[in-house]
Amino acid sequence: MNRMMLRLYCLFALGLWSAGVVIADDKCLTCHETLGDNPSTLFKHDIHRTKGITCAGCHGGNANSDEMDQAMDKNAGFIGVPKGDQISQVCARCHSNAEKMGQFRASVPAGQLERLEASVHGSLATSGKERIAQCSTCHNAHGIVSVRNPASPVYPLNVVGTCTTCHANAAYMRTYNPSLPVDQLDKYRTSVHGMRNGKGDPKVAECASCHGSHDILSVKDVKSAVYPTNIPSTCSKCHSDAKHMKEYKIPTDQFEKFSKSVHGVALLQKQDISAPACNSCHGNHGAGPPGVSSVSNVCGTCHALNAELFSSSPHKKAFDERKLPECETCHSNHEIIVATNKLLGVTPEAVCSSCHSPSQNVKGYAVAKAMRSLVDSLSTEEQQAIALVREAEQKGMEVTDAEFKLRDAHQARLQSRTTVHSFDEAKLREVVLKGLNATTFASDEAHSALDEYVFRRIGLGIATLIITILAISLYLYIRRLEGRQRLGEKNTPTFPQR
Amino acid sequence: MKPLWRRLYDWVDERVQLGGLVEFMGKKYVPIHRHSVWYYFGGVSLFLFLIQVVTGILLLLYYKAGEEYAFESIQFLMSKVQFGWLIRSIHSWTANLFILTAMIHMFSVFFEKSYRKPREITWVTGMLMFFLALGFGFSGYLLPWNELAFFATKVGTDIAGIIPVIGKPVMIFLRGGPEVTGATLTRFFGFHVAVFPGIFTVLLGIHLVLVQRQGMSEPLDEPTGSEGEQKAMPFFPNFLLRDLLLWLIVLNLLAILAVFFPWELGMKADPFASAPAGIKPEWYFLFMFQTLKYIPAKLLSIDGEVLGILLFAFAGLLWTLVPFWDRKSSRGERNRFINYIGLFVVVYIMILTIIGWST
Amino acid sequence: MPVMENETGQYEKSKRDFLKYILGGSIIAWLAAILYPVFAYLKPPKQGEVEVTSVKAGPVTTFAKDSGTIIRFGNKPVILIRTSSGEFRAFSATCTHLDCTVQFRNDMGLIWCACHNGKYDLTGRNISGPPPRPLDAYRVVIQGEDVFISKNA
Repeated sequence: MNRMMLRLYCLFALGLWSAGVVIADDKCLTCHETLGDNPSTLFKHDIHRTKGITCAGCHGGNANSDEMDQAMDKNAGFIGVPKGDQISQVCARCHSNAEKMGQFRASVPAGQLERLEASVHGSLATSGKERIAQCSTCHNAHGIVSVRNPASPVYPLNVVGTCTTCHANAAYMRTYNPSLPVDQLDKYRTSVHGMRNGKGDPKVAECASCHGSHDILSVKDVKSAVYPTNIPSTCSKCHSDAKHMKEYKIPTDQFEKFSKSVHGVALLQKQDISAPACNSCHGNHGAGPPGVSSVSNVCGTCHALNAELFSSSPHKKAFDERKLPECETCHSNHEIIVATNKLLGVTPEAVCSSCHSPSQNVKGYAVAKAMRSLVDSLSTEEQQAIALVREAEQKGMEVTDAEFKLRDAHQARLQSRTTVHSFDEAKLREVVLKGLNATTFASDEAHSALDEYVFRRIGLGIATLIITILAISLYLYIRRLEGRQRLGEKNTPTFPQR
Repeated sequence: MKPLWRRLYDWVDERVQLGGLVEFMGKKYVPIHRHSVWYYFGGVSLFLFLIQVVTGILLLLYYKAGEEYAFESIQFLMSKVQFGWLIRSIHSWTANLFILTAMIHMFSVFFEKSYRKPREITWVTGMLMFFLALGFGFSGYLLPWNELAFFATKVGTDIAGIIPVIGKPVMIFLRGGPEVTGATLTRFFGFHVAVFPGIFTVLLGIHLVLVQRQGMSEPLDEPTGSEGEQKAMPFFPNFLLRDLLLWLIVLNLLAILAVFFPWELGMKADPFASAPAGIKPEWYFLFMFQTLKYIPAKLLSIDGEVLGILLFAFAGLLWTLVPFWDRKSSRGERNRFINYIGLFVVVYIMILTIIGWST
Repeated sequence: MPVMENETGQYEKSKRDFLKYILGGSIIAWLAAILYPVFAYLKPPKQGEVEVTSVKAGPVTTFAKDSGTIIRFGNKPVILIRTSSGEFRAFSATCTHLDCTVQFRNDMGLIWCACHNGKYDLTGRNISGPPPRPLDAYRVVIQGEDVFISKNA
């Protein structure tokens, strides 16, 4: 060979070496290939092989020797086919070692096994001898490729198939958690996420996007990404990312709006898990926005009375005809703020004014006006009654009867807010009247307590007057008496000497 | 035609021979001198005690003694019973004023040394009545069964419990058990409306009979006989009418206090709740309470609190027995030492009460 | 004041009488001012007596089977239920959600809150809707012919 060829060869070898491709040294593979076994066929395309790792890298032994005894020598570290937890231990030898991963210039993070062991899948299997899932359960053993490779079982479009291998198998799931559903896939395929995923969009959510991959925790675990208080931030990982959502042309401000809403404050600040998160209204696996005519039903799963009243009110037909989403039209969907009396009525800030005016939908205009004045009168009366009762209480008067009646007023106020949704003036009037009766009683009681307070002071004044007159006249009487005594006797009486 | 009252008097006189008594009473005189004003305080104390008896009896008609209803019965009394608020507030205010006037009366007698012969028994019965008054105050305070009273009673009976030897049995006797419970309430109620009034009445009877029999004591430093005469006024009707006038004004004062400073009820006692901050006894116990706080925990291997209690008991005993160890006054001589002791005690009590109240 | 007789005797006398009238009159007024409150106090008020730890709800016969009644207990409402088997149960009638007063619904066979559709079963447990906690139970005792409700010891 001439020098030129030698240099070229060296460069080529150097290039191959720097690319980390060392093909010649995997004798295990060469032999097993000729045997025609599946693992070796798969391993040919494995990323580990690309990185220069031989069969011995996982199985141990000597990959340089083509003598079976030497190659599969226990003393050389050969472990045969690893079983159970041993599998994951083998992977972890490198994958849990950040330094080693750095050597191979890997882009995957280290420490997945630790996270897996802490997750639900890290619990013991029914055999009791190994964990439920090993690395190979999802990633396969041979033929492992990057998660970004469409051939990987954990590529976004394939994740669903991988998870449902177990999670759609009712008989298998029964052995672990009989109450866990197994129809997630069916539901998922009805959702926007599922439909797009089925059509080949790798950007939409699949199982791992919400549940995590290695660190999957039970929904009831506070640290889980799908625990109610964490769901809004999990969903907003994509849904608040304008860049990610650009092609889908839906808004990305839901999380922001939700955080300001009553539901958001209850869930995220007060940690009240009975408050709705995204999935409560949109669904979990079958996630999608409720249809225009079903909004009331969705809100009605909690706000049952309001929904029932609304559905039998004239607004139902009117809204459905105009394709107006029922509850959302007045209350908004994500940014639902506290409903005050101001929401009702015919003032500019009231929602009724959007459709009702003196010249348009006139009957409703009158009803809206009347209903607002009813709830306003109840609020005012109740506040006045409470103030009077407080005043009497502060002055030291007994007001337990009045306070007991105020409960009824409080109840009427709460009920009136629900009754508004019937948009029936007569019904509302009935409820408000009950409340006004209670406030009148309480106010009357408070007034008589305050009158008693004044009565006591007036009574004291009169008594003091009487006593003063008596005292003065008594004093004068004494003076007169002693004056007469002094005049009547020549000497003042002497005190008996000791 | 004889007036009605004259006929009534004659009817009784025929049967009881009041003649001697009336003559004796008619001869009673009250000396007039610059310290005469102090003579009124005994009468005011008596008046306040009578108010307590009357308002106490009225309260008895509505009060329910017992853990279940005591607090609620007073709430009921304050709100539903006509003038119930008035009766109750007067009773509570008078309790405090009674102890105050009794103290003033006691100190004025002390400084005037009126306890000297022949009035030793009068002084001793008076002192016993004073201790009973404190007992009235302590037992009555618990009766509304409110939070403050419950814990004050707990602390107070705890202190009784640390008296050496007899302390624990005394505490259990007072509490009706090892802890303050409904049994304590029942027991205190018995003390307050039956035991103490009974004993007090006997002592009061002796005290008043003695005062009437012996007449009013005169200050030691008034000139005797040099000018020949001393000014005096007849007890009946002059001093009595003046007494009544003062009592009238005190009554008005009570009404004003009841209306403008009604007595609080607070919250019902909950034996399982923790004590609210700043529990302290009524003002008349404060000086002792505060003193106990200042005594170090251990003094010459004796427990500080025990020492404090014994000290006060000893001081009380000395004070009660002053007619017997103050020989000088019995001889009619001036005794400045008594004045100094008295002054020290008054100032001490006042200062420690103020400190105890403001912390 | 010098004693004047004859013409001015009457003057003296009338002044004496005037003072005696004032004195006498004010004594009577004072007595009235003392006795009026005392007599008003002695008259028992409408509400016969205080009852807070135990309330007599009424004779057993006034409560039909499968019904519920709201009874006032001190200053709190209590719901007294008589089940279809005749058993009496009592619970606090203050809904644990937002303090509305609950009611018995025999069509639903449970305790219901009208404000937000909260439901409790007949053991007081919150089973549906917004109420976060069960209703406090009260003790029911039948003494003779009457039903008594008292606080749970």
